[in-house]
Amino acid sequence: MPIEPQKIKKVRRNLELTLWEKLYIFEVIRGLFITTRHLVVNLIGFVVPPAGKKRSIPTIYYPEEKRVMFDAYRGRPVLVAQENGSEKCVACGLCEKICPGRAITIVAREKENGDRFPLQFTLDMTRCVYCGYCEEVCPKEAIVMSREYENLAAYNRAEMIFSKESLLRPEKDLRERLEYVRRIYSKCNY
Amino acid sequence: MIADLIETVVKILIVFGINMGFFAPILGWVERKQSAVMQDRVGANRADILGFRIIGLFHPIADALKVMVKEDFIPDGANKLFHTLAPFISLTCALVTFAVIPFGGQYELFGHKVNLVIADLDVGILFVFAFASLAPFGAVLAGWSSNNNWSFLGGMRASAQMLSYEVAMGFTIIGVIMVYGTLQLTEIGAAQADFFRWGIFLQPVGFLLFFTCAIAENKRIPFDMPEAESELVAGYFTEYSGMKFVMFWMGEFVEIVTISAIVTTLFFGAWHIPFVSDTALVSLFSPVGQAASNLLAMIHDSLGSPATALAVSTLLAMVVNLGVFLAKIIFFIWLQMTIRWTLPRFRYDQVMRLGWKMILPISLINIFITGLFML
Ligand code: SF4
Ligand code: SF4
Repeated sequence: MPIEPQKIKKVRRNLELTLWEKLYIFEVIRGLFITTRHLVVNLIGFVVPPAGKKRSIPTIYYPEEKRVMFDAYRGRPVLVAQENGSEKCVACGLCEKICPGRAITIVAREKENGDRFPLQFTLDMTRCVYCGYCEEVCPKEAIVMSREYENLAAYNRAEMIFSKESLLRPEKDLRERLEYVRRIYSKCNY
Repeated sequence: MIADLIETVVKILIVFGINMGFFAPILGWVERKQSAVMQDRVGANRADILGFRIIGLFHPIADALKVMVKEDFIPDGANKLFHTLAPFISLTCALVTFAVIPFGGQYELFGHKVNLVIADLDVGILFVFAFASLAPFGAVLAGWSSNNNWSFLGGMRASAQMLSYEVAMGFTIIGVIMVYGTLQLTEIGAAQADFFRWGIFLQPVGFLLFFTCAIAENKRIPFDMPEAESELVAGYFTEYSGMKFVMFWMGEFVEIVTISAIVTTLFFGAWHIPFVSDTALVSLFSPVGQAASNLLAMIHDSLGSPATALAVSTLLAMVVNLGVFLAKIIFFIWLQMTIRWTLPRFRYDQVMRLGWKMILPISLINIFITGLFML
Protein backbone atom coordinates (compact mmCIF):
# COMPACT_ATOMS: atom_id res chain seq x y z
CA MET A 1 0.00 0.00 0.00
CA PRO A 2 1.57 3.35 -0.96
CA ILE A 3 2.02 5.81 1.86
CA GLU A 4 0.09 8.99 1.31
CA PRO A 5 1.93 12.23 2.02
CA GLN A 6 0.71 13.60 5.33
CA LYS A 7 -0.01 17.21 6.10
CA ILE A 8 2.69 18.44 8.42
CA LYS A 9 1.44 20.52 11.29
CA LYS A 10 3.78 22.98 12.96
CA VAL A 11 3.79 22.85 16.74
CA ARG A 12 5.14 25.78 18.70
CA ARG A 13 7.36 24.58 21.49
CA ASN A 14 8.97 26.30 24.44
CA LEU A 15 7.76 29.67 23.38
CA GLU A 16 6.62 32.50 25.56
CA LEU A 17 2.86 32.47 25.64
CA THR A 18 1.20 35.45 24.13
CA LEU A 19 -1.14 37.54 26.23
CA TRP A 20 -4.10 36.02 24.40
CA GLU A 21 -2.99 32.55 25.38
CA LYS A 22 -2.26 33.60 28.93
CA LEU A 23 -5.86 34.69 29.28
CA TYR A 24 -6.55 30.96 28.99
CA ILE A 25 -10.28 31.22 28.59
CA PHE A 26 -10.20 31.83 24.83
CA GLU A 27 -7.78 28.97 24.27
CA VAL A 28 -10.12 26.80 26.34
CA ILE A 29 -12.98 27.72 24.07
CA ARG A 30 -10.83 26.92 21.05
CA GLY A 31 -10.01 23.52 22.54
CA LEU A 32 -13.67 22.85 23.26
CA PHE A 33 -14.42 23.76 19.69
CA ILE A 34 -11.90 21.24 18.36
CA THR A 35 -13.19 18.36 20.49
CA THR A 36 -16.75 19.20 19.64
CA ARG A 37 -15.90 19.23 15.96
CA HIS A 38 -14.50 15.74 16.30
CA LEU A 39 -17.58 14.64 18.19
CA VAL A 40 -19.98 16.01 15.61
CA VAL A 41 -18.02 14.75 12.61
CA ASN A 42 -17.79 11.26 14.08
CA LEU A 43 -21.43 11.18 15.10
CA ILE A 44 -22.41 12.13 11.57
CA GLY A 45 -19.96 9.50 10.37
CA PHE A 46 -21.92 6.81 12.20
CA VAL A 47 -25.10 7.65 10.38
CA VAL A 48 -23.76 8.79 7.00
CA PRO A 49 -20.39 7.09 6.56
CA PRO A 50 -17.80 8.85 4.42
CA ALA A 51 -17.29 7.38 0.98
CA GLY A 52 -15.59 4.00 0.93
CA LYS A 53 -15.64 3.50 4.69
CA LYS A 54 -18.00 1.96 7.19
CA ARG A 55 -17.72 4.88 9.60
CA SER A 56 -15.44 7.85 10.09
CA ILE A 57 -13.90 6.19 13.17
CA PRO A 58 -11.04 3.91 12.16
CA THR A 59 -11.84 1.23 14.76
CA ILE A 60 -12.48 -2.26 13.42
CA TYR A 61 -15.25 -4.10 15.28
CA TYR A 62 -13.01 -7.08 15.76
CA PRO A 63 -14.87 -10.37 16.04
CA GLU A 64 -17.42 -9.29 13.45
CA GLU A 65 -15.13 -7.40 11.13
CA LYS A 66 -11.73 -8.87 10.58
CA ARG A 67 -8.70 -7.13 9.34
CA VAL A 68 -6.88 -8.52 6.33
CA MET A 69 -3.27 -8.37 7.37
CA PHE A 70 -0.66 -6.79 5.17
CA ASP A 71 1.91 -8.91 3.31
CA ALA A 72 4.75 -8.29 5.73
CA TYR A 73 2.73 -9.61 8.65
CA ARG A 74 4.22 -12.66 10.35
CA GLY A 75 1.44 -14.82 11.69
CA ARG A 76 1.41 -18.55 12.30
CA PRO A 77 4.02 -20.41 10.18
CA VAL A 78 2.22 -22.81 7.84
CA LEU A 79 3.26 -25.42 5.28
CA VAL A 80 2.56 -24.82 1.63
CA ALA A 81 0.62 -27.60 -0.10
CA GLN A 82 1.07 -28.65 -3.69
CA GLU A 83 -1.73 -29.01 -6.21
CA ASN A 84 -2.25 -32.64 -5.23
CA GLY A 85 -2.53 -31.74 -1.55
CA SER A 86 0.81 -33.10 -0.39
CA GLU A 87 3.42 -30.85 1.18
CA LYS A 88 6.21 -29.10 -0.71
CA CYS A 89 8.65 -29.71 2.11
CA VAL A 90 11.53 -32.03 1.32
CA ALA A 91 12.53 -32.56 4.94
CA CYS A 92 15.92 -30.98 4.47
CA GLY A 93 15.91 -30.02 8.15
CA LEU A 94 17.18 -26.47 7.62
CA CYS A 95 14.26 -24.90 9.38
CA GLU A 96 14.55 -27.32 12.24
CA LYS A 97 18.20 -26.33 12.54
CA ILE A 98 17.77 -22.56 12.35
CA CYS A 99 14.70 -22.20 14.48
CA PRO A 100 15.82 -20.18 17.52
CA GLY A 101 12.93 -21.45 19.57
CA ARG A 102 13.46 -25.06 18.53
CA ALA A 103 9.83 -25.20 17.69
CA ILE A 104 10.11 -27.49 14.69
CA THR A 105 10.66 -31.25 14.83
CA ILE A 106 10.90 -33.23 11.62
CA VAL A 107 10.89 -36.98 11.09
CA ALA A 108 12.19 -37.51 7.53
CA ARG A 109 11.50 -40.51 5.28
CA GLU A 110 12.37 -41.44 1.72
CA LYS A 111 10.00 -42.54 -1.03
CA GLU A 112 10.75 -45.43 -3.45
CA ASN A 113 11.89 -42.97 -6.11
CA GLY A 114 14.36 -41.43 -3.69
CA ASP A 115 12.40 -38.22 -2.84
CA ARG A 116 12.54 -37.17 0.75
CA PHE A 117 9.45 -36.14 2.62
CA PRO A 118 8.60 -35.38 6.21
CA LEU A 119 6.71 -38.21 7.83
CA GLN A 120 6.02 -35.94 10.73
CA PHE A 121 6.36 -32.18 10.85
CA THR A 122 5.57 -30.94 14.34
CA LEU A 123 5.34 -27.27 15.13
CA ASP A 124 5.29 -26.41 18.81
CA MET A 125 3.59 -23.03 18.96
CA THR A 126 4.39 -22.64 22.63
CA ARG A 127 7.98 -22.16 21.51
CA CYS A 128 7.65 -20.23 18.25
CA VAL A 129 8.70 -16.60 18.44
CA TYR A 130 7.40 -15.64 14.96
CA CYS A 131 10.86 -14.70 13.78
CA GLY A 132 10.34 -16.01 10.27
CA TYR A 133 13.78 -17.64 10.00
CA CYS A 134 12.21 -20.93 8.95
CA GLU A 135 10.58 -19.18 6.02
CA GLU A 136 13.75 -17.36 5.08
CA VAL A 137 15.92 -20.43 5.17
CA CYS A 138 13.58 -22.83 3.40
CA PRO A 139 14.96 -23.68 -0.09
CA LYS A 140 11.60 -24.96 -1.33
CA GLU A 141 9.23 -22.19 -0.23
CA ALA A 142 7.55 -24.88 1.75
CA ILE A 143 7.01 -22.98 4.98
CA VAL A 144 5.77 -19.39 5.13
CA MET A 145 4.49 -17.03 7.73
CA SER A 146 0.75 -16.72 7.09
CA ARG A 147 -1.67 -13.93 7.87
CA GLU A 148 -3.37 -16.06 10.51
CA TYR A 149 -3.51 -14.26 13.81
CA GLU A 150 -6.42 -16.03 15.44
CA ASN A 151 -6.29 -18.99 17.84
CA LEU A 152 -2.59 -18.53 18.39
CA ALA A 153 -3.18 -18.90 22.09
CA ALA A 154 -4.89 -21.90 23.63
CA TYR A 155 -6.09 -23.11 26.99
CA ASN A 156 -3.53 -25.93 27.25
CA ARG A 157 -0.20 -26.77 25.71
CA ALA A 158 -1.37 -29.85 23.89
CA GLU A 159 -3.63 -27.66 21.75
CA MET A 160 -0.68 -25.57 20.69
CA ILE A 161 1.25 -28.38 19.09
CA PHE A 162 0.45 -28.67 15.42
CA SER A 163 0.95 -31.61 13.10
CA LYS A 164 1.85 -31.51 9.42
CA GLU A 165 -1.74 -32.13 8.39
CA SER A 166 -3.15 -29.23 10.41
CA LEU A 167 -0.53 -26.85 8.98
CA LEU A 168 -1.03 -27.51 5.27
CA ARG A 169 -2.55 -24.61 3.37
CA PRO A 170 -3.22 -24.47 -0.39
CA GLU A 171 -0.66 -22.45 -2.27
CA LYS A 172 -3.15 -20.02 -3.78
CA ASP A 173 -4.08 -18.71 -0.31
CA LEU A 174 -0.48 -17.84 0.36
CA ARG A 175 0.38 -16.26 -2.97
CA GLU A 176 0.83 -12.70 -1.67
CA ARG A 177 3.16 -13.81 1.04
CA LEU A 178 5.17 -15.98 -1.34
CA GLU A 179 5.62 -13.07 -3.71
CA TYR A 180 6.60 -10.87 -0.84
CA VAL A 181 9.12 -13.45 0.34
CA ARG A 182 10.66 -13.66 -3.14
CA ARG A 183 10.96 -9.90 -3.28
CA ILE A 184 12.33 -9.41 0.19
CA TYR A 185 14.73 -12.35 0.45
CA SER A 186 15.73 -12.29 -3.28
CA LYS A 187 14.95 -15.96 -3.62
CA CYS A 188 15.47 -17.12 -7.19
CA ASN A 189 17.19 -20.44 -6.64
CA TYR A 190 14.39 -22.80 -7.64
CA MET B 1 -53.70 19.32 52.93
CA ILE B 2 -54.06 16.12 50.95
CA ALA B 3 -53.55 18.11 47.77
CA ASP B 4 -50.33 19.57 49.20
CA LEU B 5 -49.11 16.14 50.10
CA ILE B 6 -49.86 14.70 46.67
CA GLU B 7 -48.22 17.70 45.02
CA THR B 8 -45.02 17.31 47.05
CA VAL B 9 -44.84 13.57 46.54
CA VAL B 10 -45.32 13.96 42.79
CA LYS B 11 -42.63 16.61 42.62
CA ILE B 12 -40.19 14.53 44.65
CA LEU B 13 -40.89 11.56 42.44
CA ILE B 14 -40.28 13.59 39.31
CA VAL B 15 -37.04 15.17 40.52
CA PHE B 16 -35.52 12.07 42.07
CA GLY B 17 -36.82 9.80 39.38
CA ILE B 18 -35.13 11.95 36.76
CA ASN B 19 -31.95 12.11 38.80
CA MET B 20 -31.46 8.61 40.04
CA GLY B 21 -33.39 6.77 37.37
CA PHE B 22 -32.26 8.69 34.34
CA PHE B 23 -29.24 10.90 34.84
CA ALA B 24 -27.13 8.84 37.22
CA PRO B 25 -27.01 5.65 35.11
CA ILE B 26 -27.11 7.36 31.75
CA LEU B 27 -24.29 9.76 32.54
CA GLY B 28 -21.86 6.92 33.04
CA TRP B 29 -22.71 5.79 29.56
CA VAL B 30 -22.54 9.32 28.17
CA GLU B 31 -19.14 9.90 29.69
CA ARG B 32 -17.68 6.77 28.16
CA LYS B 33 -19.33 7.15 24.82
CA GLN B 34 -18.84 10.87 24.38
CA SER B 35 -15.19 10.72 25.31
CA ALA B 36 -14.72 7.83 22.93
CA VAL B 37 -16.37 9.44 19.92
CA MET B 38 -14.58 12.68 20.65
CA GLN B 39 -11.24 10.86 20.54
CA ASP B 40 -12.12 8.99 17.33
CA ARG B 41 -12.87 5.77 19.18
CA VAL B 42 -16.06 3.75 19.38
CA GLY B 43 -16.49 3.28 23.12
CA ALA B 44 -18.39 0.69 25.07
CA ASN B 45 -20.70 -1.24 22.79
CA ARG B 46 -20.27 -4.90 23.73
CA ALA B 47 -23.02 -5.55 26.27
CA ASP B 48 -25.91 -7.13 24.42
CA ILE B 49 -29.23 -8.74 25.18
CA LEU B 50 -30.17 -11.38 22.60
CA GLY B 51 -27.77 -9.82 20.15
CA PHE B 52 -29.20 -6.30 20.45
CA ARG B 53 -26.68 -3.71 21.45
CA ILE B 54 -28.41 -0.35 20.98
CA ILE B 55 -25.14 1.61 20.94
CA GLY B 56 -23.97 0.29 24.29
CA LEU B 57 -26.98 1.37 26.33
CA PHE B 58 -27.04 -1.96 28.14
CA HIS B 59 -23.76 -1.15 29.80
CA PRO B 60 -25.36 0.75 32.68
CA ILE B 61 -27.46 -2.33 33.43
CA ALA B 62 -24.44 -4.59 33.23
CA ASP B 63 -22.50 -2.21 35.45
CA ALA B 64 -25.28 -2.10 38.01
CA LEU B 65 -25.49 -5.89 38.13
CA LYS B 66 -21.75 -6.23 38.45
CA VAL B 67 -21.55 -3.70 41.22
CA MET B 68 -24.34 -5.28 43.25
CA VAL B 69 -22.72 -8.68 43.37
CA LYS B 70 -19.25 -7.38 44.13
CA GLU B 71 -17.64 -7.87 47.48
CA ASP B 72 -17.90 -4.88 49.75
CA PHE B 73 -14.40 -4.63 51.09
CA ILE B 74 -13.37 -2.69 54.18
CA PRO B 75 -9.61 -2.61 54.66
CA ASP B 76 -7.90 -3.67 57.84
CA GLY B 77 -7.43 -0.83 60.26
CA ALA B 78 -10.05 1.33 58.59
CA ASN B 79 -12.52 3.17 60.73
CA LYS B 80 -15.59 1.12 59.85
CA LEU B 81 -18.19 3.70 60.83
CA PHE B 82 -16.71 6.59 58.87
CA HIS B 83 -15.64 4.39 56.03
CA THR B 84 -19.26 3.38 55.56
CA LEU B 85 -20.65 6.81 56.23
CA ALA B 86 -18.52 8.72 53.71
CA PRO B 87 -20.17 7.61 50.45
CA PHE B 88 -23.61 8.30 51.91
CA ILE B 89 -22.59 11.83 52.79
CA SER B 90 -21.24 12.38 49.27
CA LEU B 91 -24.37 11.15 47.52
CA THR B 92 -26.85 12.76 49.90
CA CYS B 93 -25.24 16.18 49.69
CA ALA B 94 -25.40 16.07 45.93
CA LEU B 95 -29.02 14.94 45.86
CA VAL B 96 -30.54 17.11 48.57
CA THR B 97 -29.60 20.31 46.78
CA PHE B 98 -32.25 19.53 44.21
CA ALA B 99 -34.99 20.20 46.72
CA VAL B 100 -34.66 23.95 46.34
CA ILE B 101 -34.08 24.19 42.61
CA PRO B 102 -37.19 25.34 40.75
CA PHE B 103 -37.93 23.51 37.53
CA GLY B 104 -41.00 25.47 36.52
CA GLY B 105 -43.14 28.50 37.29
CA GLN B 106 -46.11 28.93 39.62
CA TYR B 107 -49.47 27.85 38.28
CA GLU B 108 -53.03 27.33 39.45
CA LEU B 109 -54.52 23.90 39.04
CA PHE B 110 -58.20 23.55 40.07
CA GLY B 111 -57.78 26.53 42.38
CA HIS B 112 -54.76 24.94 44.03
CA LYS B 113 -51.50 26.80 43.76
CA VAL B 114 -48.77 24.63 42.33
CA ASN B 115 -45.19 25.77 42.64
CA LEU B 116 -42.79 23.66 40.65
CA VAL B 117 -40.12 23.34 43.30
CA ILE B 118 -39.98 20.81 46.13
CA ALA B 119 -39.12 23.25 48.88
CA ASP B 120 -39.43 26.95 48.12
CA LEU B 121 -37.03 28.23 50.76
CA ASP B 122 -36.51 31.94 51.29
CA VAL B 123 -32.79 31.32 51.47
CA GLY B 124 -32.64 28.76 48.70
CA ILE B 125 -29.21 29.77 47.51
CA LEU B 126 -27.77 29.53 51.03
CA PHE B 127 -29.24 26.06 51.33
CA VAL B 128 -27.38 25.09 48.17
CA PHE B 129 -24.16 26.45 49.62
CA ALA B 130 -24.73 24.80 52.96
CA PHE B 131 -24.89 21.41 51.33
CA ALA B 132 -22.09 22.20 48.93
CA SER B 133 -19.89 22.87 51.94
CA LEU B 134 -20.95 19.57 53.52
CA ALA B 135 -19.73 17.69 50.45
CA PRO B 136 -16.00 17.88 51.35
CA PHE B 137 -16.79 15.84 54.45
CA GLY B 138 -17.59 12.88 52.27
CA ALA B 139 -14.23 13.08 50.56
CA VAL B 140 -12.24 13.91 53.67
CA LEU B 141 -13.84 11.20 55.77
CA ALA B 142 -13.34 8.65 53.03
CA GLY B 143 -9.69 9.57 52.66
CA TRP B 144 -9.02 9.70 56.36
CA SER B 145 -10.87 6.57 57.43
CA SER B 146 -9.44 4.29 54.74
CA ASN B 147 -6.08 3.78 56.43
CA ASN B 148 -4.29 4.15 53.13
CA ASN B 149 -1.71 6.72 52.17
CA TRP B 150 -3.12 7.45 48.75
CA SER B 151 -6.57 7.93 50.19
CA PHE B 152 -5.22 10.14 52.91
CA LEU B 153 -3.39 12.38 50.46
CA GLY B 154 -6.49 12.51 48.30
CA GLY B 155 -8.65 13.47 51.24
CA MET B 156 -6.21 16.16 52.26
CA ARG B 157 -6.13 17.63 48.79
CA ALA B 158 -9.91 17.42 48.63
CA SER B 159 -10.29 19.45 51.79
CA ALA B 160 -7.80 22.09 50.65
CA GLN B 161 -9.22 22.41 47.17
CA MET B 162 -12.89 22.34 48.01
CA LEU B 163 -12.57 24.79 50.86
CA SER B 164 -10.63 27.30 48.76
CA TYR B 165 -13.03 27.14 45.87
CA GLU B 166 -16.02 27.41 48.15
CA VAL B 167 -14.81 30.80 49.27
CA ALA B 168 -14.44 31.99 45.70
CA MET B 169 -17.80 30.44 44.75
CA GLY B 170 -19.52 32.31 47.55
CA PHE B 171 -18.16 35.60 46.30
CA THR B 172 -19.05 34.97 42.67
CA ILE B 173 -22.65 34.38 43.61
CA ILE B 174 -22.98 37.67 45.49
CA GLY B 175 -23.08 39.59 42.21
CA VAL B 176 -26.15 37.60 41.15
CA ILE B 177 -27.84 38.13 44.50
CA MET B 178 -27.21 41.85 44.20
CA VAL B 179 -28.66 42.06 40.72
CA TYR B 180 -31.86 40.17 41.48
CA GLY B 181 -32.11 41.36 45.07
CA THR B 182 -33.23 38.02 46.47
CA LEU B 183 -31.89 34.78 47.87
CA GLN B 184 -34.93 32.80 46.81
CA LEU B 185 -34.17 30.64 43.80
CA THR B 186 -37.77 30.70 42.55
CA GLU B 187 -37.71 34.49 42.51
CA ILE B 188 -34.36 34.56 40.77
CA GLY B 189 -35.85 32.22 38.19
CA ALA B 190 -39.00 34.28 37.80
CA ALA B 191 -36.93 37.47 37.44
CA GLN B 192 -35.38 36.03 34.28
CA ALA B 193 -38.63 35.85 32.35
CA ASP B 194 -37.29 38.66 30.17
CA PHE B 195 -34.59 37.32 27.87
CA PHE B 196 -32.35 40.32 28.38
CA ARG B 197 -32.49 39.93 32.15
CA TRP B 198 -30.86 36.49 32.08
CA GLY B 199 -27.94 36.15 34.43
CA ILE B 200 -25.48 35.58 31.63
CA PHE B 201 -26.13 39.11 30.29
CA LEU B 202 -26.13 40.80 33.66
CA GLN B 203 -23.24 38.83 35.16
CA PRO B 204 -21.06 37.36 32.39
CA VAL B 205 -17.91 37.36 34.51
CA GLY B 206 -19.85 35.94 37.42
CA PHE B 207 -21.01 33.08 35.21
CA LEU B 208 -17.50 32.17 34.10
CA LEU B 209 -16.12 32.26 37.60
CA PHE B 210 -19.02 30.38 39.11
CA PHE B 211 -18.87 27.67 36.50
CA THR B 212 -15.13 27.24 37.04
CA CYS B 213 -15.56 27.06 40.80
CA ALA B 214 -18.41 24.61 40.45
CA ILE B 215 -16.32 22.25 38.32
CA ALA B 216 -13.50 22.58 40.84
CA GLU B 217 -15.96 21.77 43.63
CA ASN B 218 -16.95 18.63 41.78
CA LYS B 219 -13.33 17.45 41.69
CA ARG B 220 -13.39 16.64 38.01
CA ILE B 221 -10.63 17.12 35.50
CA PRO B 222 -9.06 19.70 35.09
CA PHE B 223 -9.42 20.03 38.87
CA ASP B 224 -9.12 16.38 39.82
CA MET B 225 -6.47 16.82 42.48
CA PRO B 226 -8.26 14.68 45.10
CA GLU B 227 -8.70 11.79 42.66
CA ALA B 228 -5.60 12.17 40.52
CA GLU B 229 -5.60 8.76 38.90
CA SER B 230 -2.10 9.32 37.59
CA GLU B 231 -0.67 10.07 41.03
CA LEU B 232 -2.90 8.71 43.77
CA VAL B 233 -4.47 5.56 42.26
CA ALA B 234 -8.00 6.85 42.79
CA GLY B 235 -7.42 9.34 45.57
CA TYR B 236 -9.83 9.38 48.45
CA PHE B 237 -11.91 6.43 47.28
CA THR B 238 -9.02 4.09 46.53
CA GLU B 239 -10.18 1.65 49.22
CA TYR B 240 -13.79 1.47 48.15
CA SER B 241 -15.40 -1.31 46.21
CA GLY B 242 -18.80 -2.47 45.10
CA MET B 243 -21.83 -0.37 45.86
CA LYS B 244 -19.98 2.17 47.98
CA PHE B 245 -17.58 2.93 45.18
CA VAL B 246 -20.52 3.49 42.90
CA MET B 247 -22.08 5.82 45.41
CA PHE B 248 -19.11 8.14 45.07
CA TRP B 249 -19.31 7.77 41.38
CA MET B 250 -23.02 8.51 41.30
CA GLY B 251 -22.51 11.37 43.71
CA GLU B 252 -20.15 12.87 41.17
CA PHE B 253 -22.64 12.48 38.35
CA VAL B 254 -25.54 13.82 40.38
CA GLU B 255 -23.34 16.74 41.27
CA ILE B 256 -22.79 17.41 37.58
CA VAL B 257 -26.55 17.60 37.20
CA THR B 258 -26.84 19.80 40.27
CA ILE B 259 -24.23 22.20 38.99
CA SER B 260 -25.96 22.37 35.64
CA ALA B 261 -29.27 23.02 37.37
CA ILE B 262 -27.86 25.80 39.53
CA VAL B 263 -26.06 27.43 36.61
CA THR B 264 -29.25 27.25 34.58
CA THR B 265 -31.29 28.75 37.39
CA LEU B 266 -28.89 31.55 38.14
CA PHE B 267 -27.58 32.48 34.72
CA PHE B 268 -29.59 30.93 31.93
CA GLY B 269 -33.17 31.91 32.57
CA ALA B 270 -34.15 28.86 34.62
CA TRP B 271 -37.24 27.29 33.02
CA HIS B 272 -37.98 30.11 30.59
CA ILE B 273 -37.95 29.92 26.84
CA PRO B 274 -36.58 33.20 25.47
CA PHE B 275 -39.38 35.70 24.74
CA VAL B 276 -42.16 33.35 25.91
CA SER B 277 -43.61 34.00 29.34
CA ASP B 278 -45.44 31.39 31.42
CA THR B 279 -48.87 32.95 30.88
CA ALA B 280 -48.22 33.08 27.14
CA LEU B 281 -47.35 29.39 27.32
CA VAL B 282 -50.66 28.53 28.98
CA SER B 283 -52.65 30.52 26.42
CA LEU B 284 -50.61 28.92 23.67
CA PHE B 285 -51.82 25.52 24.81
CA SER B 286 -55.44 26.60 25.34
CA PRO B 287 -56.69 25.15 22.01
CA VAL B 288 -55.14 21.81 23.00
CA GLY B 289 -56.76 22.07 26.42
CA GLN B 290 -60.09 22.86 24.79
CA ALA B 291 -59.81 19.84 22.53
CA ALA B 292 -58.86 17.63 25.44
CA SER B 293 -61.79 18.81 27.51
CA ASN B 294 -64.13 18.15 24.55
CA LEU B 295 -62.76 14.63 24.38
CA LEU B 296 -63.19 14.14 28.10
CA ALA B 297 -66.74 15.45 27.87
CA MET B 298 -67.59 12.37 25.85
CA ILE B 299 -66.72 10.24 28.87
CA HIS B 300 -68.54 12.36 31.41
CA ASP B 301 -70.36 15.65 30.98
CA SER B 302 -68.84 17.32 34.01
CA LEU B 303 -65.33 16.76 32.69
CA GLY B 304 -65.93 19.02 29.72
CA SER B 305 -65.88 22.28 31.64
CA PRO B 306 -63.56 25.21 30.85
CA ALA B 307 -61.81 24.43 34.14
CA THR B 308 -60.53 21.14 32.76
CA ALA B 309 -59.46 22.89 29.58
CA LEU B 310 -57.43 25.32 31.62
CA ALA B 311 -56.03 22.52 33.77
CA VAL B 312 -54.90 20.54 30.74
CA SER B 313 -53.20 23.52 29.15
CA THR B 314 -51.59 24.40 32.48
CA LEU B 315 -50.32 20.87 32.86
CA LEU B 316 -48.90 21.02 29.36
CA ALA B 317 -47.20 24.31 30.18
CA MET B 318 -45.67 22.66 33.24
CA VAL B 319 -44.37 19.82 31.17
CA VAL B 320 -42.87 22.28 28.72
CA ASN B 321 -41.26 24.14 31.63
CA LEU B 322 -39.74 20.93 32.88
CA GLY B 323 -38.64 19.99 29.37
CA VAL B 324 -36.95 23.33 28.75
CA PHE B 325 -35.24 23.14 32.11
CA LEU B 326 -34.04 19.64 31.37
CA ALA B 327 -32.81 20.66 27.93
CA LYS B 328 -30.74 23.43 29.45
CA ILE B 329 -29.41 21.04 32.09
CA ILE B 330 -28.44 18.58 29.40
CA PHE B 331 -26.62 21.30 27.54
CA PHE B 332 -24.54 22.11 30.60
CA ILE B 333 -23.89 18.46 31.32
CA TRP B 334 -22.57 18.18 27.81
CA LEU B 335 -20.42 21.25 28.33
CA GLN B 336 -18.94 19.87 31.54
CA MET B 337 -18.25 16.52 29.95
CA THR B 338 -16.57 18.24 27.01
CA ILE B 339 -14.44 20.33 29.33
CA ARG B 340 -13.48 17.20 31.23
CA TRP B 341 -12.27 15.50 28.09
CA THR B 342 -10.66 18.55 26.53
CA LEU B 343 -8.54 20.26 29.12
CA PRO B 344 -5.33 18.91 30.60
CA ARG B 345 -5.09 18.67 34.38
CA PHE B 346 -3.77 21.48 36.48
CA ARG B 347 -0.87 21.00 38.81
CA TYR B 348 -1.70 21.23 42.49
CA ASP B 349 -0.07 24.61 42.99
CA GLN B 350 -1.75 25.90 39.86
CA VAL B 351 -5.13 24.90 41.24
CA MET B 352 -4.44 26.77 44.44
CA ARG B 353 -3.08 29.80 42.62
CA LEU B 354 -6.06 29.93 40.30
CA GLY B 355 -8.44 29.73 43.22
CA TRP B 356 -6.87 32.24 45.58
CA LYS B 357 -4.97 34.61 43.32
CA MET B 358 -7.15 34.82 40.26
CA ILE B 359 -10.75 33.84 40.87
CA LEU B 360 -11.10 35.35 44.31
CA PRO B 361 -9.79 38.84 43.37
CA ILE B 362 -11.72 38.86 40.11
CA SER B 363 -14.90 37.95 41.91
CA LEU B 364 -14.32 40.75 44.41
CA ILE B 365 -13.80 43.21 41.56
CA ASN B 366 -16.95 41.82 39.97
CA ILE B 367 -18.93 42.57 43.13
CA PHE B 368 -17.49 46.06 43.22
CA ILE B 369 -18.36 46.82 39.60
CA THR B 370 -21.83 45.34 40.00
CA GLY B 371 -22.31 47.64 42.97
CA LEU B 372 -21.22 50.64 40.91
CA PHE B 373 -23.72 49.81 38.18
CA MET B 374 -26.53 49.31 40.65
CA LEU B 375 -25.91 52.75 42.13
S1 SF4 C 1 9.07 -18.51 13.05
FE1 SF4 C 1 11.05 -18.71 14.03
S2 SF4 C 1 10.59 -19.65 16.00
FE2 SF4 C 1 8.78 -19.92 14.75
S3 SF4 C 1 9.02 -21.91 13.81
FE3 SF4 C 1 9.88 -20.45 12.36
S4 SF4 C 1 12.04 -20.34 12.86
FE4 SF4 C 1 11.01 -21.32 14.59
S1 SF4 D 1 13.43 -25.82 5.38
FE1 SF4 D 1 11.62 -26.07 4.10
S2 SF4 D 1 12.00 -27.93 2.96
FE2 SF4 D 1 13.47 -27.92 4.60
S3 SF4 D 1 12.49 -29.07 6.21
FE3 SF4 D 1 11.97 -26.95 6.60
S4 SF4 D 1 10.04 -26.67 5.53
FE4 SF4 D 1 10.90 -28.56 4.76
